[in-house]
Amino acid sequence: MLEVLIIDDDDIVTLVQNKLLQNCNVCAASLNFKRASDALEYLNSANPENDYLLLLDINMPIMNGWQFLEEIEKMTIKDRVFVYMVTSSIDYNDKEKAKDYSRIVNFIEKPITVKNCEQLKQHQLFKNYFE
Amino acid sequence: MNYSSDQLKILVVEDHIGDYILIEDYLTEEHVQIHLTRALTFKDAKEKLKSENTFNLILLDLSLPDVDDNEDLVRKMVALSNNTPIIVLTGFANKIFGVKTLSLGISDYLLKDELNAPQLAKSIFYSIERKNIDLKLSESERKYKTLFDFSPYPMWVLDKHSLDFLKVNDAAIKLYGFSPREFLCMNVRDLWVEELKEEIQNTWKENYHNKFNTTVKHLKKDGSIIHVEILSNPIDFDGREARVTQIKDITKQLEAEQALRSSEKRFKALVQDASDLIMIFDFDGNMSYVSPSSNQMIGILDSEMLQKNFFYYIHEDDVESVKEHLLMLHDIKRIQIPSYRIKTSNDKWRYVETIITNLSEDESVNGIVANCRDITEFIKQEKKLIASLKRYDTVAKATSDTITDYDILNDKIYYNEGIQSVFGYSKKDIDNSGTWWNDKLHPEDKDRVEGYSRDVKNAKSGNIQIEYRFRCADGSYKYVLDRSYLVTDIDDNPIRIIGAMQDITEIQNYIQTIEDHNSRLKDIAWTQSHVVRAPLARIMGIIDLLQNFPNISEQDQLLEHIISSATELDEIIRNITIKTENVSSIEK
Repeated sequence: MLEVLIIDDDDIVTLVQNKLLQNCNVCAASLNFKRASDALEYLNSANPENDYLLLLDINMPIMNGWQFLEEIEKMTIKDRVFVYMVTSSIDYNDKEKAKDYSRIVNFIEKPITVKNCEQLKQHQLFKNYFE
Repeated sequence: MNYSSDQLKILVVEDHIGDYILIEDYLTEEHVQIHLTRALTFKDAKEKLKSENTFNLILLDLSLPDVDDNEDLVRKMVALSNNTPIIVLTGFANKIFGVKTLSLGISDYLLKDELNAPQLAKSIFYSIERKNIDLKLSESERKYKTLFDFSPYPMWVLDKHSLDFLKVNDAAIKLYGFSPREFLCMNVRDLWVEELKEEIQNTWKENYHNKFNTTVKHLKKDGSIIHVEILSNPIDFDGREARVTQIKDITKQLEAEQALRSSEKRFKALVQDASDLIMIFDFDGNMSYVSPSSNQMIGILDSEMLQKNFFYYIHEDDVESVKEHLLMLHDIKRIQIPSYRIKTSNDKWRYVETIITNLSEDESVNGIVANCRDITEFIKQEKKLIASLKRYDTVAKATSDTITDYDILNDKIYYNEGIQSVFGYSKKDIDNSGTWWNDKLHPEDKDRVEGYSRDVKNAKSGNIQIEYRFRCADGSYKYVLDRSYLVTDIDDNPIRIIGAMQDITEIQNYIQTIEDHNSRLKDIAWTQSHVVRAPLARIMGIIDLLQNFPNISEQDQLLEHIISSATELDEIIRNITIKTENVSSIEK
């Protein structure tokens, strides 16, 4: 089963992304985390037989997206984790940096659109879940 | 006889009353004004002569009661007489002695027995007159001697035939430098200069017995030569045939005359050959002299120029000024008239500058002397120069550049006021050497600039443009854009570099400021783009949802989010604007 986690400090973003994922039939309901540490905690005790798709914001207080990814690498579940980096900035440096992280599947500039969802569903990694 | 009108005072020394009365009779017969005093004895006579000697004559009888020795009496009376003439009265017995008395200083002797009135009167007259002549003669001799000895003119007496010196006065000794002893061993020929010896010898021979005067040259003891005017007269010198010569030293006079002649010659040369035009005129402009240089200066002959009035030649716009200056000569002796125009033969104008001197009081000039110098070429040059300077000034002011003029041969750099106004160096700070300038270059620019200017000099190319930093008086550096022009002589050798140092520090600073601004604005844009994109991305996301899923639930809430995000976005943009403005104002 594919679980979808939204990690973003912006409530409206979380709401809109959740609605989009539901209406595009990506998932029935996403798991929403306002703080990255909460998401880490969840994954720590998560079912290792499931796959986890993370929509991860880069700019967050306390722990940002990159720090979060460093923590994921230390976890046993890391191979089940697939990350979509989602950022509002149009920063070329961030995009380059993303290439260094094997966990990152895609790099999306906000907002995530219906088109992004369609591409996601046809992605090699996830298409099995949507046939 | 002239003395007969005066009272004749006679002392009669006669003890014999009969004789006395006889004498008195004779005398009164011939003279109206006569006053006789009688002395009876020698003693009496002696007292009378001592108390009151105003006698014109003494009549002395040799037979006196208190005298034995007649000769002794005569001697004593002569001594007492104080030059009053004495006539001795004697008898036949003493005739021989009477004759002898003449050699003792007696004027005359008369024999009593032959005495009569006319004889007595005649003897008295002659005696008094002879005494007067004797006095005059000795006086004249004394005067002559004084004249010779103390004459300011050198004088000497020469032997008429040998021309040996016989006597020399003080002035001659002083002038020639020989001592009296030396002179008296010399001959006048010793003084003659070699070249004139023959001529003087001839003059002397021609006038052997006569007076003559001539001008000769004499040698002094120290060997120097003097010009003298001599006047020589034959005289009898103590019974010897001689010449007295008076000498007048005219060396100084001749030198002065020579100096005057050469000064006149010089003056003539100055006036007639000089290019300056010299004129003499009066206050009304009537001319009395024009120098020949008029022809050279304005093409009009001096004689022709004299026919018109001075003011005729002056430009009508200048004539008032010239007249005003002329009037000032009443108070000032000399004045310079500012340049004015003077007419030439072909009705063109020359500019002249004139110094006028009032010599109306000077009899040899009797007018105003004007010394005119042609300054036409100078005025033309000056006008060109002024125009050129004006252009230069305009350019210099417009650019606010520091103008440099580098004299390569003498290694001297001259600056305009920019060196002070731009770089702060006062006149006393500036040393005009090239080293001084080089020293002010920024150490990092020095090699580059020096190399470049060497290349320019060698390549002999005209234009130079280079940027460098130049040290100011306060130690700070200014960015300079130096645009210079190399001036060469006809052989293409570099002689000067004229340059304009433009202060581009402000431009440089401005560019730096803009770059700083840009970088800051970039930063602002960068950071703000995250913030801006956050609400924008939300709005775009919601719209994407609403478009794709028109029947989506909670549409009101989504619209509410669009509004709040739009408001947030608006606020962010406002903030960015304010912050951007702040950046610029900080820099200012």
